[in-house]
Amino acid sequence: MHRVRNLILTIIAVVLFAFFLDKAPDLLNGYWQRILNLIAINAILALSLNLIYGITGMFSLGHAGFMAIGAYVSALLVLSPAQKNAMWILEDIYPWLLNVNAPFVVSIILAGIVAAFFGLLVALPVLRLGGDYLGIATLGFAEIIRILITNTARLTNGSLGLKGIPAHTTLFMSWSCLGVVLLCTVCMLRSNFGGVLRAVRDDEVAARMMGINTFRVKVLAFTLGCFGGGLGGALMGNLITTIDPRMFMITQTYNILMIIVVGGLGSVTGSIIGSVLVTTMLEWLRFVENPITIGSLNIPGIPGMRMVIFSLLLIVVIIFRREGIMGMREFSWNIFFPKHKAKPKPKREKHDVVLEVKDVVLRFGGLSAIDNLTFDIKHGQIMGLIGPNGAGKTSAFNVISGFYKPTSGTIKFLGKSIGGLRPDEVCRAGMSRTFQNIRLFGHETVLQNVMTGARIRQKYSWWMTLAPFIFTDVLREDAEVKAQAMDLLSQLGLAEFADEKASSLPYGAQRRLEIARALATRPEFLLLDEPAAGMNPQESEELLQFIRRLRDEFDLTILLIEHDMKVVMNVCDYIHVLDQGVHIAQGTPEEIKANPRVIEAYLGKGAA
Amino acid sequence: MNLNIFIQHFINALSLGSLYGLVAVGYTMVYGILRLINFAHGDIFMLGAYFVYFATIVYKLPWAVGVITAIILTTICGLLVDRIAYKPLREAPRISALISAIGVSFFIENFAVVVFTGMPRPVVQPPILMKPITLNGGVRLIPLGILVPVVSFVLVGALLWLLYCTKPGLAMRAISFDIETTRMMGVSVNKIIALAFGLGSALAAVAGIMWALRYPRVEPFMGMTPGIKAFIAAVFGGIGSVPGAMIGGLILGFVEIMSVAFFPTLSGYKDAFAFLLLIMILLFRPTGLLGEKLEDKI
Repeated sequence: MHRVRNLILTIIAVVLFAFFLDKAPDLLNGYWQRILNLIAINAILALSLNLIYGITGMFSLGHAGFMAIGAYVSALLVLSPAQKNAMWILEDIYPWLLNVNAPFVVSIILAGIVAAFFGLLVALPVLRLGGDYLGIATLGFAEIIRILITNTARLTNGSLGLKGIPAHTTLFMSWSCLGVVLLCTVCMLRSNFGGVLRAVRDDEVAARMMGINTFRVKVLAFTLGCFGGGLGGALMGNLITTIDPRMFMITQTYNILMIIVVGGLGSVTGSIIGSVLVTTMLEWLRFVENPITIGSLNIPGIPGMRMVIFSLLLIVVIIFRREGIMGMREFSWNIFFPKHKAKPKPKREKHDVVLEVKDVVLRFGGLSAIDNLTFDIKHGQIMGLIGPNGAGKTSAFNVISGFYKPTSGTIKFLGKSIGGLRPDEVCRAGMSRTFQNIRLFGHETVLQNVMTGARIRQKYSWWMTLAPFIFTDVLREDAEVKAQAMDLLSQLGLAEFADEKASSLPYGAQRRLEIARALATRPEFLLLDEPAAGMNPQESEELLQFIRRLRDEFDLTILLIEHDMKVVMNVCDYIHVLDQGVHIAQGTPEEIKANPRVIEAYLGKGAA
Repeated sequence: MNLNIFIQHFINALSLGSLYGLVAVGYTMVYGILRLINFAHGDIFMLGAYFVYFATIVYKLPWAVGVITAIILTTICGLLVDRIAYKPLREAPRISALISAIGVSFFIENFAVVVFTGMPRPVVQPPILMKPITLNGGVRLIPLGILVPVVSFVLVGALLWLLYCTKPGLAMRAISFDIETTRMMGVSVNKIIALAFGLGSALAAVAGIMWALRYPRVEPFMGMTPGIKAFIAAVFGGIGSVPGAMIGGLILGFVEIMSVAFFPTLSGYKDAFAFLLLIMILLFRPTGLLGEKLEDKI
């Protein structure tokens, strides 16, 4: 349903925009048409660099070089023999080149292909490098390409450059090219292959373990990105009508880098937004370099000021908003359509099975962290998961809560399979957890931490918050959530800290706050990862009472990892023991205390 | 080519190489500690040259005073760059700091255009440094050609002494191994990092001043190409290694000068040699001549 709706909306938007472009020559003056053209070209360049860097994670500073190749290839193909004859003054043009000619569209495609070919040549050796070295090596290649262009005058007319390139880049041309590039990029990134690219970026080691030839994938992405660079360069040359080697200095790459950083590395939407913003701003900032006359007052233009402001913005963005405008998110029509859900949940009978873990195996490469784990938890139980260090307890939590995907086996939560769901989806299903190393939103207040936990229960969409006085749902729901959060805080004895920064709380209070935040999602099932860690006997005694109270007051089912045996033995109804990923024992606390295998696992052979 | 001309090329290569080396040392120290390519380093070098220009030519300070003032001012700029643009990003992904570095480099260059204008300005060379000396055998040398490598080697020697024979040097080497552990040993890590930036900037200032004397002029973008080449020299010698940076710089200087001396037709490609050299070393010995092998932990 949504897909059909979204497709229709997309088509409408595209048609409307095409209509606008069609009328643009009448509506806009040459200056604004040029900016619109530049936006499209910059967006193509940004998308292609984003594919290389933001999506696949290869820090390349060589884009200007590939743009140069594209610009020259296209220009040499569209210039007429007469123009070429007139332009090559210092040295003679190669005779074969004089008469080579191609239509514009063919020339820009060839420009992309030649740039991609050079990209491939560059990629094969340098993509073996990673990180900064790759950046410097690609920067080096771009510089070499520029030096080659300067020095091969018979081919490129050297430092004189090429002039009088026919202005083939019309609004229609540049925006259709962007349309095609955008469509291809989006389709690719939505496919499973797009997932592979992102996997290579996030963790190359893990991607290899998934059977991906990461080198091949990187070479492919780099080559595709270079195609975009060549295409963009070609369009740029045919827009500006003059090209020379100095146009393609590192500054050119920085501009594109700025676009994708501002927009959000890894976000296609971000690249488009970034192109609009940065292109418009760069043009607009030209005023600081031109003399301004206000009445009788003459303010002389300041050369260089534009780039000063521009670079300051880059620094400010990277320091204060590293993820850019979009982060890694993408635009989707869905944001305009608030989801309607929330059917009342049926009240659960006691002793219904809440969680059912069956034959779960979790392997990292050859190492198995969990080997055939099977257990289930009934409603209202407090279950303990114990075992020595490295037993796989936290791994089990991570699998259940969606941070890891089980290698095999099934996990059913409230009768539905959740194996492989993302943590956020698991959370929506009614499960919440705390972490062994406390993970609070440290810069936020205590109250805000809890309110954030309640966001998933709110129904309003973000855009309504722009005008909360029209969409009064925002105010009403926020007030509700705030009251609930305060209530929760006072139940857990944290009310006095409500306005403190979360990271400033004492340790025990931080643990309780993490639990409060988890409770704010209204879970039916709570996972507690070592709640007593670092507590003194007095505090862990309080914790005991607290966990029991939690279960009763919030009608919860609890799974608990704990090393403090006193807590485990006193609070748990039932206990499972893991050792090196293997489920070695289960039973009531009394049975576990007497189990020789458990004692052996904790104290070594012979201790029993 | 006769011997006299060769010796002149040799001296020329030695002084160019030692200038690259001097700048490379600043890159290598910062990279060794923070794993950050300080793209702004080449521009710090440019500032050094400008400050000495203003001190001696515009404000007519005596040479010695002017040079010292310029070094101090440049060092302050280097420290400010670290404080403003890099320190807030210590915990951020490294690529963020790198982009910040690109931004800073861009900023300093264009700020220089705004303040100093984009016009190249001629630098007056003190006559005492330029009066040619004729050695027996007919080799003519200018004192500047000897002064540059001597000053460079003395400064790098002093830096090595600081790194290997003093407490702050020990702390600096410790940080490059493991910043967290060093912090736990009670070392004020931020002070040591600032020290590295300060020292690197001071050396860059000296290099910038000598560069300005060699090619007697200053302009806002003069730091770009030497900066990148010096970084390449640092990678070539083995990033993180101070002697390596100096050796890398010297090799680069010799390759550039000698290749053009022996094959004058290649002079247009002079700037490409550094990059070719870089790509070669990265492919065959990614850790550089004196670098240690680092492996990623899985």
